[in-house]
This record gives sequence, structure tokens and C-alpha cells, in this order.
Amino acid sequence: MLRTRRGVVAVVAPLIIGLTACAPSAPDSASSSGAAQQITLDVWGWRQEDVAAYKKIFKIYEDAHPGVKVKYVPYKSTEYDTILRTGLADANGPDVAQLRSYGLLQPLVAAGSLVPLGDEVKELGAFPETILDGARGVTDKKVYGVPFAIQTMHVIYNKAILNKHGIAPPTTWDSMIAAFDKLKAAEVTPLAATMTDTWMLPVQQEIFGATTYGGHDYLKRMLAGQAKFTDRPWVDSLTTWKGTSKYWGPQFEGTSYTDAQALFTSGKAAMFPGGIWELAAFAKAGPELEMGIFNVPPAPGAAVTEPLVPGFVDGSFGVSAKTPEKAAALDLVRWMASPEFGKAFSKELRQISAVPAVAPEDPLLAQALTAYQANPSPYVTYAYFSGGTPTAWDLASESLSKFALGRSTADQAAKHVQQGIDQWFKPTP
Amino acid sequence: MRRLARRRGGYRANRVAWRWIAAFCLPALLLYGLFVVVPLVTAFYYGLFRWEGIRQGEFVGLGNYGEVLTRYPLSEEIPAALWHNGLFFVGTMAIQNTVGLGLAVLLYRNPRGKRFFQTVFSLPYLISPLIVGYIWSLLLSPSFGPVNFMLRTVGLDSWARPWLGEPDTALPVLILVNAWQWVGGPMLIFLAALGGIPRELEEAAAMDGASAFRTFWSVRFPLLMPAVGVITVLTFIGCFNIFDLVYALGGSDGGPGGAMDVLGLLYYRTAFEGGTNAIGESSALAIMIFALVFGISVVLERVLRRREVTP
Repeated sequence: MLRTRRGVVAVVAPLIIGLTACAPSAPDSASSSGAAQQITLDVWGWRQEDVAAYKKIFKIYEDAHPGVKVKYVPYKSTEYDTILRTGLADANGPDVAQLRSYGLLQPLVAAGSLVPLGDEVKELGAFPETILDGARGVTDKKVYGVPFAIQTMHVIYNKAILNKHGIAPPTTWDSMIAAFDKLKAAEVTPLAATMTDTWMLPVQQEIFGATTYGGHDYLKRMLAGQAKFTDRPWVDSLTTWKGTSKYWGPQFEGTSYTDAQALFTSGKAAMFPGGIWELAAFAKAGPELEMGIFNVPPAPGAAVTEPLVPGFVDGSFGVSAKTPEKAAALDLVRWMASPEFGKAFSKELRQISAVPAVAPEDPLLAQALTAYQANPSPYVTYAYFSGGTPTAWDLASESLSKFALGRSTADQAAKHVQQGIDQWFKPTP
Repeated sequence: MRRLARRRGGYRANRVAWRWIAAFCLPALLLYGLFVVVPLVTAFYYGLFRWEGIRQGEFVGLGNYGEVLTRYPLSEEIPAALWHNGLFFVGTMAIQNTVGLGLAVLLYRNPRGKRFFQTVFSLPYLISPLIVGYIWSLLLSPSFGPVNFMLRTVGLDSWARPWLGEPDTALPVLILVNAWQWVGGPMLIFLAALGGIPRELEEAAAMDGASAFRTFWSVRFPLLMPAVGVITVLTFIGCFNIFDLVYALGGSDGGPGGAMDVLGLLYYRTAFEGGTNAIGESSALAIMIFALVFGISVVLERVLRRREVTP
């Protein structure tokens, strides 16, 4: 549809331009259609709430590149993957597309829908390998997108409540538990934990359990086939996480994601274990809410001595293999790997940009990023064991739900994950 | 002459009738073909190939069927989901259709306000199951829901619980919410069927001294069997194809510990949260679900029709 309309524009535009003499400035060198002086790049994405922000961000690019218009076309998040799969299959689809990371990216790579960016976007060389992992094809190891955001996981707390009860952000496991006890005694729910939306369970398990299994070191051994989900460290990390369940509030079994958010923003719960992406939503729901973040200190018997900050790549921007404006599209994603884009992205969307050396203006985001860079930990089930079916993330969501509800042991929960991925995962020794 | 006229008339009538029948059936047949037969055949065809994203790969025959049935955890989720669908069907028959029949009998015997109650009981029909699901999940929320709040206010604290968060209560809640929405259906069908029973049969039973209970079970109920048959088959199809309400109440994972996981959700996860070969595997799963529902529906229909009596 859009292309057809653009085609009409291509035919009609010169006539009008000739009449009104308000021609755009010099045609872009990347222009392939010749007749058209104006290139419109469609960028598809799943963030309907970000349209206004992207308009501002892309304005910077448009100003520097006369003759190129960049349009953010959002789709409903839950339907986006299906729409994108079909959209990438023909030339009327997107020129540039927001891509999900890790396992969810793989079907698009397998279908050959994307342009590998390794040779095209030199700027990617400056990105850390663990960040590029989010945009890599698991079989060919090529990078297919420019990562745009890093998400980190912490315990988000309500400053007013902690101050009221004389609690400082904890630096040791024991002081954290003491803080939880104090809040509980004062009839404040310490942790607004999500239960019924099971995708949040692996998030919470990473936040509380990462130090128990040991983060990247353990992951490295898992990828090499020297360690498994069913080995002690990972199984124990489940127990560590569930050990906090008495602070999850009354009837936590029925708490949904939105319930948990509301418990926190309404001040009924003091803390929310979750991703840094919550900040924007929390700020909107409670403009008065003053928030802080802390990272869970090493649990008793932890494999490390520092708190670990789990994080992952949220998504990337890739180029459709079918786009008729390939050169212009590549130009745009090259810009998306630049600090100029990173800064604008971080400022407008209140998120951590994946572009190296771009510090967020927001102090909480800056704190999150600094902590992540100092002690990064992987989001193991989501990021590294999601390249086959079933994904460890799905398996963990299911089995952690059963485990938290007391329907299975930690060993059974871990076995569920291992048994599922054993069917496709091949370690690389 | 007369014979000829009749034959000619008959001939003409047949011919006209045939054309009219064709004219009336064709649009429906076209739509049926386009939206039912074509997707079904396509799904069957798609299920025979390996897919890489949206790219059709090599022919694998029944490979996807084998994959779906044997791959962990699907191999355990399919029987579990079937079991939940079965429980859902039994529960719905026991609650929704029994209550529907009860309401129908009450309204039939006491026609005052019949119209009003008919409308009231059928009103939830007008709401999308997704909305019904979201409304009920809000009502039942342990933190903010009015249901638990009410239970606590009247002193039933121990009854207040995370209804949709506990594996033991999730499926019964699903059955009740579903019944709440659809109870008007069986009620209307039973009401119509009750109206169709000749009065003299009931009068004869009364003359013979049969009690109201006896009259119901020995006279009315056997004559309601055609309605029971229709409702059973429709309930079966509805229960084995359920998706929207469960999704709204428990998400795509099927609620706490998968306690509400049903075939529809399993299909959804395979198709939209599956991996590279999602199209192949979900098509295979869809065909198996179709074969199951279709097969059992036909058998059910046969069995129930045999038990029908005519007045």
C-alpha cells in the first residue's frame, strides 16, 4: 500500500515541484528510483507508546539527510512478530525493522529475511560481544541488527517508605532480609512479586538467584557443556529466590503483573523486583513516587562476592533483505550505532542505549548502567538458551511457577528446563 | 391432460426449486469453502513441511506430527491439556447445562417475568469472552478484587483466596465463569423444547397420579433428549475449542502451574511463541485437534440420537 502511494508520489511529485519550485534539496546519493528525490524509510516496531519519541529522534537524522524521511510504523506488541514475519517477506514491508533479541530473532534469520550487518556497519565493532549476542544468528554467528537498548534488573524501591521505616538500601544479604522483616512487621508488603504472569518469574529468579549460581562464569561453563541447569549452583539459585517468598505479600499466588505494579505504585508494597523498563511506567502511574534501585547482595553461599546485575539486549534494528532502498536503510542503521542516536534514544525514551559510551541523563538509569557495566550477569534462560524449541525461558516460566506454588521441588523445576533444552542444545566445548 | 399438466407443473417446480436451492446455497458454500475448507486443507498441507520462519522447507510427511507428540514438554502438555479440556467439558455439562435446564423449567412453570429473566440470563452473551475474562480476573484479584473483599467483610476470611492463582481453584473458576457467560444458551434451547412438549402428555401423567418429580423424569426429560443432544455436542465443541476466556483469565501459559492449560492455548503457544518451525508444528497440532473434536462430535451425535424418543 505504502509503496504504491509512494509510487504515485514519485510520478506526481516532479510535476508539482516543477510548478511550485519548492524542490527538496539535492537528491540523496542512495536514491535508487531515480525519479523520486524523496526517500521514505519505513521503520517497523512494536512500541506504540514511543511514536512521538521516535519522531523527535528521527527528525535529527532527517535534518542531517535532506531527501530522506524516516517513519516509525508501530504495531501491536503481541501481534508484531507475526506481522513482521509476513512483512519482511515482500518489498512492501519495512525497510528497517525493530527486531526482538536472541531466540525470537532466529526465525527471521532462518528465513533469510534480514541483511547481515557485520561488513556493512563498521560501528558495530565497538559494541561488546555480549551485547551483540542479542542480535546474532545462532547458527551462522552473524550479527543482524544494531542493538538499541539494554535492560537491567534490580530491586526498585519506594524511597518514602524506606525512609519512613529508617531503612537504607541494603548492602548485605542479611541487612536486606532485616529490612524485609522490618517492613513486614509494619504491615507493608516488602516485595510486590508477580506470580500469575509467569514470564516475570525468570526475571525475579535472576535478580535474587544470580549470585548463587555465579552469572557469566557459570554461563560460560554451561555453553561449553561443563555445567547444567540441573547442577547444584543453578538449582540452589531457585531455592535462594524462593527463600524470599514470605515477603511476597499475602496471597501472592494470585498476584498478576499489573497487580504487582499497582501494589508498588500505590505504596502498598515497598519494593518491586523487576526490569529497569518499569521506571517509565511507574513514573507515569505515580508522578509523586520517588524511586531508587539496589542490586541484590550476594546470598549466603554465593559463588561471587559482589552483587550481580542481570541484563540483556532488548532488541535491535535490522535491515530487510527485500527493501528497495537498501543503501539508505543501511545508512540509517549505521547512524543508529552512533552516539548521536544513542543519546537521543536514551533521552527521549528514558532507556539505556546499547551504543557504547553513551551515558543516560536520568540518574537512575545511569546508576543501573554503571552497576551493570561493573558486575554484569546474563539473563541465561532468555538470552542464551532460547535459540531452539522449546526455549529455556518458556520452560523456566512453567517450572518456576510450579516451584513457587509448592507443586514441585527445585530439582524437578531445574530438570524440566534441562530435559527440554537437551533436545536441541549442542554445547560448544 | 391432467397427468401431463401435473407432470409439467412438477417438472417446472423441480427445476425452479433446484435453481433456487443452488442460488441460495452458493454464497454460503463459497464462504464455507473459502473460510473453512481452504484453511483446513492449507493447514494440512503446511503441516507436511518443515518451515524456516515463513519459508517453506523440505517435505517431512508426518514428521511434524511425530515431533509435536514426542518432544518434551509438549509430549506431557498434550495429555494434560486434553485432560483439562475433558474436565472443563464435564464441569460445564454438570453446572452450566444443569443450571440452564433448571432455569428453563422454572421459567416455563412460572411465566411471570419470563421475558425479563430470559433477557437477563442471556445478557452476558453480548460481551466478548476476552472482556468477561478480564472483568472476572479483576473481580477475583487477591489484592484489589471485590470478591475477596466481600468475603472478608462478612467474616469469611478463610474463604478469601487467590482464586486464579491456586492450581486447585483455577479450573473450577474457569468452569464457573464460562457457565456465567453461556448459561443463557442451554436455557433458551430447553425453554423452546419444553414448549414443544404436548400438554396432554403431562396431563395424562398427572391423571395417573405421577408426582411433579416423576412427571419431569419420565415424561419431560425423555422428550427433551433432542435438545440435550444438541446442547451436549455444542458444549463439547465449545469446551474443546476454548481459547479466549482461558487466555484472558490465565494468560497463554494456562494459569498457575498450567492448571488451566487447554488445547487452544497449546496451539497458540506452538504457533505464536514457537520456534523456527512454528508453522509446520502448529499446523500439525491444529489438524490433530480438529480430527479429535470432529471425530468425537460425530460419535457423540450418533450415540445421543439413538436415545431420542418421539412423543
